[in-house]
Amino acid sequence: MKRSIAVFLLAGAALAVPALAQTTGLPLPSAVEKALEARASNVTEVTLDKSMLGFASKFLDKKDSDQANAKQLINGLDGIYVRSYEFDKEGQYSLEDIENLRKQFAGGDWVPMVHTREKKTGESTDVMAKMVNGESRGMFILSAEPKELTIVLILGPIKMDQLGELGGIGGLGAMGDIGKTVKKADKGATKGGGE
Amino acid sequence: MKVLAWVAVCAIVLMVPMAVLAGSGSGFDGVVTTLEHRYHAHATRIPFMGVISLVAHKATSGGVAGLHVAEFDEFNEKVDGDELNNIVEEKLGAGWQRMIRDTSKHGAEQTLIFAHPEGNRMGLFIVDLDGNEMDVVQISVDPDHLNQSIEKYKHHDGAGNDSDHGDNSGDDSD
Repeated sequence: MKRSIAVFLLAGAALAVPALAQTTGLPLPSAVEKALEARASNVTEVTLDKSMLGFASKFLDKKDSDQANAKQLINGLDGIYVRSYEFDKEGQYSLEDIENLRKQFAGGDWVPMVHTREKKTGESTDVMAKMVNGESRGMFILSAEPKELTIVLILGPIKMDQLGELGGIGGLGAMGDIGKTVKKADKGATKGGGE
Repeated sequence: MKVLAWVAVCAIVLMVPMAVLAGSGSGFDGVVTTLEHRYHAHATRIPFMGVISLVAHKATSGGVAGLHVAEFDEFNEKVDGDELNNIVEEKLGAGWQRMIRDTSKHGAEQTLIFAHPEGNRMGLFIVDLDGNEMDVVQISVDPDHLNQSIEKYKHHDGAGNDSDHGDNSGDDSD
């Protein structure tokens, strides 16, 4: 009887976790992310759901055209999730870790858009878009450098060229850089220079 | 009999730290008191903070309110980022959501920013550890009113010197 209750409670907890993740619209850290966090020397996490984004957007100036664009963009988003891991030494994460992170967004509505890898520097960039009825409803970016790994998940309508506009929000300064990296990677991919 | 005695001893050993942590209340004071107990550090509460908060409220036309500040000057214990996060999360209670977390493995730098929607306002709770100094700040912000106040200073700044180059201009106004 006791065992049945324990199993029931565990099952309840297991069901509650994804349910909770769905209510916030943003995922809970995966096992891979937790493992990366344990190895990283510095971890930065930014988690902004719709209400937080609404709050952040109020600080953007309507009169400034760039900020006005960013404000409009942010108001349409459902959430932004950023994880950045810095490592002391190279080789503290493996290609398998990257593959496991990528797998979370394989299939379903997620479509790979850009995948580049530079053998010399060991840098790689992956961009996947969530396509619903032909419209982009989310974006997943995975940027890997030998001593740094950055994951960005944006939920809601967004296009690649709008990424840089998010750089103006507190804590998301790196988005501008990622936007540039993605644009560069995109150009490289179209020229056939990727991987 | 011996077994029962051991159970009782273990229960007491486990319950004492829990009682200390649970008894220190919740919210800003709960977080500060728990940090004081856990890390054996003393927090300096800024005197007359109520008056300062009132002045800030008036000066910003309601943009800023409910200001609480505590400062740990000699925070010498090593901090585990996960533990610190758990303490703050638990003591703040439901309704607070973590927005930003910056944690270093070596423990010397930790930043946590939690937010709590309060209608048109947003409650912010900030814990920042830098070396041996930790600051804990709670504030309630009304973005619309605060923006109006910031605008005033922007105009002053724009008239005096042209320091706004369009790059992160929002940051300059702080």
